[in-house]
Amino acid sequence: MANRTIRVDYIARVEGESSLELHVRNGAVDAVRLSIFEPPRFFEALLRGRGYEEVLDIVARICGICPIAYQMSGVHAVENALGIKVDPPIRALRRLFYCGEWIQSHALHIVMLHAPDFLGYPDAIAMAREHGDAVERALALKKRGNELIRLLGGREIHPINVRIGGFYRVPSRAELAPVAEALKHARDQAIDTLRWAAGFPFPECVRDYEFVALRHPDEYPMNEGRIVSSAGLDIAAADYETEFIERQVPHSTALHSVMKQRGTYLVGPMARYALNRDRLPAEIRALADEVGLEPVCRNPFRSILVRALEVVYTCDEALRLIAAYEPPARSFIPPELRAAVGHACTEAPRGILYHRYNLDRGGTILEARLVPPTAQNQSVIEEDVRDLANAALDLEDEALQARCEQSIRNHDPCISCAAHFLKLQVHRE
Amino acid sequence: MSGSDRPLVLVVGIGNSDRGDDGVGPAVARRLRGWVPPGVSVLERGGDALALIEDWEGVPSVIVVDAVAPITEPGRIHRLDLTRNPLPVAFALPSTHAFGLAETVELGRSLGRLPKFVIAYLVEGAQFETGAPLSPAVAVAVEEAVERIILALSAIPRTPQAEGTARHA
Repeated sequence: MANRTIRVDYIARVEGESSLELHVRNGAVDAVRLSIFEPPRFFEALLRGRGYEEVLDIVARICGICPIAYQMSGVHAVENALGIKVDPPIRALRRLFYCGEWIQSHALHIVMLHAPDFLGYPDAIAMAREHGDAVERALALKKRGNELIRLLGGREIHPINVRIGGFYRVPSRAELAPVAEALKHARDQAIDTLRWAAGFPFPECVRDYEFVALRHPDEYPMNEGRIVSSAGLDIAAADYETEFIERQVPHSTALHSVMKQRGTYLVGPMARYALNRDRLPAEIRALADEVGLEPVCRNPFRSILVRALEVVYTCDEALRLIAAYEPPARSFIPPELRAAVGHACTEAPRGILYHRYNLDRGGTILEARLVPPTAQNQSVIEEDVRDLANAALDLEDEALQARCEQSIRNHDPCISCAAHFLKLQVHRE
Repeated sequence: MSGSDRPLVLVVGIGNSDRGDDGVGPAVARRLRGWVPPGVSVLERGGDALALIEDWEGVPSVIVVDAVAPITEPGRIHRLDLTRNPLPVAFALPSTHAFGLAETVELGRSLGRLPKFVIAYLVEGAQFETGAPLSPAVAVAVEEAVERIILALSAIPRTPQAEGTARHA
């Protein structure tokens, strides 16, 4: 069986629509294509000609799972263009807002989408019959994350409360108090989830990724920091496009991002943790040690542990932010318009999300550039599949297909996000 | 939220009003507001069907209204009792989200968190284009679904004690 083709027409348990083709020729993997066929929605073009104040409502529509990431990169990029530095309580509220998204997005992926792979179930529905407690914990964690998003964003999906310079409305301490009470319990559930996942059987795998993530002087990164890599990259967000380029591939409606110098790279929880473990509080690092999570994890199957650790951290961080919160004297700083270019990079649950906006002096967007994490990870995902398949060619087709699908889910791809950036090229002869 | 503040019946309209006939569920929910008897709550839900498991916690009877892909003719309404049986494959509308109505009902069943009665009114759509309004046949079906649901609600007793003997929706 020297020549084989494994074709997965619709990859389950990922957000969005994609397929995978794997060609094996003469006993070796010849080609791997992760095809994203989700229709492109041209958000970058759609933003052109719109007012700066419309950015946050438009980009929130890109994704139903990670709209806060789009709003955070969008708001910071526009504020960067307009020279706005928000007040400390606003900065803290935005970090709290992001905690809500990390909790709900990670909880969904860890238990409902990824865990069935390790435990041998076709989906979370079948898994729930024997691991009902784990599924209940995930639903509860997701609910806690959504509560934070609803309180700070006005609603759970496509929130509406963030504005350039701050928020439209800020919460009172009394409104945050019940959320904090619920988060204390959520923290325990997050620890139980981490310990549960640590017991999974993990395939042996070591990948030589170049990790790319934000790094902040004091914090585990969310909204601020320089873009750094495990190979020594250290740049400001404004220099992103000098180091990274996007290229179109025929088999996907999503652009692939590569580093100009060294090609493929990995963003997301594994990269964030590897480059920022020292920014985690001692008790979180101790939990990582307890469950055997190495300081630099290069096994993509173990990314589920990093996500679970980040859920514990974000519960802690949200509790810390709520305890320290004093409502600001003003909910926003009125912007003063000017012609400028603004850049921002923030850490979406799936990795760095880069935004650039070119504004004219009236605040109209002349150009927008959005680079989501899944577009950046597409090349790595294909390389992962190629390596894993080469090492597992003795498996029957069904088992090989399952292993390939699992390796894609290791990176929690958000296909809908990635597909929104096609550059349309018309060839005429 | 639990106990006496929970409704006896929850009606949920599922869908995206900006995607053509996918908006039939929310359209029915909006038309029902103000017309349902006491003890009945009406809710609209977008893409995240998983949230239904929290929505229906402590609620004995749930009616869901959703769009389905064309099967026979646009606007045709199918009433299905999901209390004991899964949603047939023919009615599962492909979704870019991991959990649609069918998966959420089955997850609720696996966890023992399905309401005593779950009835689905599924409306066959004609088109699901971005930004499109309801197609004419489905707009007519909204009125028919509203009438059928109001009639069904009027047959449900108003006290939790009597609920077990009700002939449901």
